[in-house]
Amino acid sequence: MGIRFLTRRLGGAVLTIVMIVLLNFVLFRMMPGSPERILLGRVPGVPPAVVEATKIRWGLDKPLFPDQFVAYLAATAKGDLGFSYGERGRPVADVLLQKLGPTLLLFGLGELIAIVIGLALGAYSGWRRGGIVDHVGNAVSLVLYATPYFLLGMGLLLLFATGLGWFPTFGMTELGVTHASFIDLLIDIGRHLFLPLATVSLGLVGQYAILMRSSVIETMTEDYITTANAKGLTDGRILRAHALPNALLPTVSLVAINLGYVVAGAITVEVVFNWPGLGTLTVEALEARDYPVLQGVFLLLSITIVVANLIADLVYGMLDPRVRT
Amino acid sequence: MSGAAGRVAGRRQWPLPRDADPDAPLLEVEHLTTHFRLPNATVHAVDDVSFRLNDGEALGIAGESGCGKTTTALSLVRILPSNARIVSGTVKLFGIDLVQKSPAALRRYRWREIAIVFQGAMNALNPVRRIRDQIAEPLEERLQVPRRDARKRADELLELVGIPRGRGSAYPHELSGGMRQRSMIAMALACDPAVIVGDEPTTALDVMVQAQILELFERLRHELGLSLILITHDLSVIAETCDRVLVMYAGKVAEEGAVSTVFRNPRHPYTGKLLGAFPNIRADRRTLDVIPGSPPDLREPPKACPFAPRCPMARDLCREVMPPEVTLPDGVRVACHLWPAGSDGVTPAWTTPSKPQLEIGADAGVAAGADAGAPARDVA
Amino acid sequence: MIAPPLPIAEEVPFQAARPGAGAAHVFRQLLRRPNGLVGLAILAVFTVLAIAPELFVGPLETAVTATGPRLGPPSAEFPFGTDEVGRSVLNLTVHATRISMVIGLLATIITVGVGAVLGILSGYVGGRFDSTMMRIADFFLVMPTFVLAIILTAIIRDVLGTGSKEILGMRLSLLVIVVVIGLTSWSSTARIIRSQVLSLRERAFVDRARVVGASAGYIMRRHLLPNVMNLIVANAVLTFAGAVLTETTLSFVGLGDPFQPSWGQLLDAARSVGAPGLGKWWYFVPAGTAVVLVVFAFTLLGNALDEILNPRRRGRS
Repeated sequence: MGIRFLTRRLGGAVLTIVMIVLLNFVLFRMMPGSPERILLGRVPGVPPAVVEATKIRWGLDKPLFPDQFVAYLAATAKGDLGFSYGERGRPVADVLLQKLGPTLLLFGLGELIAIVIGLALGAYSGWRRGGIVDHVGNAVSLVLYATPYFLLGMGLLLLFATGLGWFPTFGMTELGVTHASFIDLLIDIGRHLFLPLATVSLGLVGQYAILMRSSVIETMTEDYITTANAKGLTDGRILRAHALPNALLPTVSLVAINLGYVVAGAITVEVVFNWPGLGTLTVEALEARDYPVLQGVFLLLSITIVVANLIADLVYGMLDPRVRT
Repeated sequence: MSGAAGRVAGRRQWPLPRDADPDAPLLEVEHLTTHFRLPNATVHAVDDVSFRLNDGEALGIAGESGCGKTTTALSLVRILPSNARIVSGTVKLFGIDLVQKSPAALRRYRWREIAIVFQGAMNALNPVRRIRDQIAEPLEERLQVPRRDARKRADELLELVGIPRGRGSAYPHELSGGMRQRSMIAMALACDPAVIVGDEPTTALDVMVQAQILELFERLRHELGLSLILITHDLSVIAETCDRVLVMYAGKVAEEGAVSTVFRNPRHPYTGKLLGAFPNIRADRRTLDVIPGSPPDLREPPKACPFAPRCPMARDLCREVMPPEVTLPDGVRVACHLWPAGSDGVTPAWTTPSKPQLEIGADAGVAAGADAGAPARDVA
Repeated sequence: MIAPPLPIAEEVPFQAARPGAGAAHVFRQLLRRPNGLVGLAILAVFTVLAIAPELFVGPLETAVTATGPRLGPPSAEFPFGTDEVGRSVLNLTVHATRISMVIGLLATIITVGVGAVLGILSGYVGGRFDSTMMRIADFFLVMPTFVLAIILTAIIRDVLGTGSKEILGMRLSLLVIVVVIGLTSWSSTARIIRSQVLSLRERAFVDRARVVGASAGYIMRRHLLPNVMNLIVANAVLTFAGAVLTETTLSFVGLGDPFQPSWGQLLDAARSVGAPGLGKWWYFVPAGTAVVLVVFAFTLLGNALDEILNPRRRGRS
């Protein structure tokens, strides 16, 4: 893979991150809970220790640009994201770190499952067009697409947790229980994870299936498929070696773009199941108008998406030799 | 691996299919008829087409777009859309009728016996796989050749078609149009097929490259004893490369015979017009002989001669009765009332062109109708 | 089996999308397709409910006028049961139709308006302006606009304060949501319109207009705009679906208005009292179903419109 390709992609990612940090900085100034207002005591209920720390950190007696911005950049680069208004003034970075794990677990796994199942379903649907699986799958995918994730979650919760009692209704682990062994802990987490995971996967599967299906259908009209057929290759071989590698290409790009939209669903699903991750944190911070935390979440999620896009770009480069020049 | 070592002057290395009849002609197509089912109609794309290809021969199939030449070729190994059906006829390869074969059994013959070089190799190659791998693919998948040997053979084939060894690891988009077409030819040769079908193999290329490709075909025929079916609307290609020519019109055979005979003395008026319509850079300047009108709608094939509406020699007979296929003494087959059964092949049934046509198919009012059929005039 | 395209004797005639193909004509085409028909039918029902909810369920119930039991299950008197202060869920859901649909509509107008203008400008002007614009658009596509929307909405609300000012019958707090959705969703529309403009720009009629001396603004208004109108309409329908989803989600996380509840707001209320966990399904199922139906209908409609209006998709099923 060309060096130019890599540097171009990396450069783009870095530029985007810088723009995000800039946006964050501007937002921060706009916020009612901005440092000046804290100092002037307009935001009630903020501990005085936080006021002092904020003043020092942001260098608020110096001009906005470039001094304050540079100070902000430097602090952010070091991982210092300010202090939460609530939670006794804990550093935002700490708060985020604590909640990051459960979110990664839920969404990493959810995306993975959705990608594998969704792409497989979509490919099968596109290959065997017009079959029962195709029509039913298509209809189901459309309905799933129209359903907000949290609604799906609420429905699943109602049916399987409250109704059938198969799963617990909230949290990641049972409250106040000490686990006999690591295995027990895993099982407990697993039981709590099941419904939110199912929600996330179902929500995403529909989109990926539809994407892959139209991509496969499009690919099948290409000339090289006719050639492959004339070569006397089996259907399976044509699908695996010719159709799929090409059909995957637009799908990879779209999966990456989709990530920005998935975040909305992510947040709400956590709320429904009271899953202790970044999503629940965001909504709680919103209610409490804890702006530093909100800012931190924005920054973290943005960077994650940029990195994910970068990875998707690199994967695309691996799959399609035409962009590598 | 004896096969992987390649062909030695002339004879194929792989054994014939089990049911093959060693005395039968290489390829014999008889009364092939292929229809396409549309929602409201049936298109008679190929109607009662017969021809034969002998070992080592090159047959050119000529005609306008839509005359059924490509469908004929694709029908040989049934690479057809799902709404197409071979309605009747036989396609006998080594005496084995491919039409009767089930799809699974037919697969055996694809590429290993009949390989197709498609038009516009731009998109006919998979853009995300290397050339070498695509050439090696039929060897690996169809002949169970181990990967390393298959790759070696692929490189040999690339050299054979004139592509330097190192280029095998390139992707299609990194090659020029001519090199892509050569790669397609190398790919077609991979399994040592009995017949190679070239569907407009030079149409998408510029003239210089066209010449190179044709030269390649010549060389391959010479060195490997290749049997070839070349489909093209370009008669000069057929003149240069083929032994025999089959002229098709509206899905039916118009004329068929040795290239030298047919081109020097075309019997069917359509063949004559085709040859006349082709500009000759060396001959005197003359008006371009255009064939007015357009081919008939194949959804309702006419019950009489399909060329009658545009034919300068047409008489009432032509518009009422379908001309039978007649084999003339010099071996040319023709379907035209000018050459009825028993004709000596020298004197047509009539020689005067018909009166200027008042209605010439869809293009009524085209002025060229007035001099239709008149021999080429000198326009100094 | 996959195979080359049909070699039929005559070519299938190619029809370019005629600008202003006539709303009536398009409407008739829509009715002929199953997805168009279903989409229109569902939307008709909801439009009627949005325009005159009082006709069906009377005025919006408040905590003061509520008469039912707390979280009571569906009964003859309350077909969809009651919420935690005794209001009829049916009443609330029907009234929420107007809020959700109007917010969706207004947000779509902003999104498509901004997106189309920027798309046309960017596509026509080209050069540095275009590349800068597209960088910004990509930026919006990459970032989690939802989180941005949350932050912006909260900030603006706090700055404006909580009054009960109403514009167009909508409280200010809801209008903020409209503006925020509009400002964060314009980029995909802009990109789509821009590509269309890029291909139109090369066409002869644009050159002719330029040679004759028409100004850029004139060309964009009188030549480009009519030709991308079809695309804009199809895109607007799909954007509407997205806007309803976004508003629902924003309300769900607490940015809705309890005095003018939308479906999202109802869902948030249901969750806060723990309705799913308690098995009180009637509280959220009606609003949820409504959202799914409306978004589904718009998506179907959008796809049908795309099939009808997009010349490149014709002849493919």
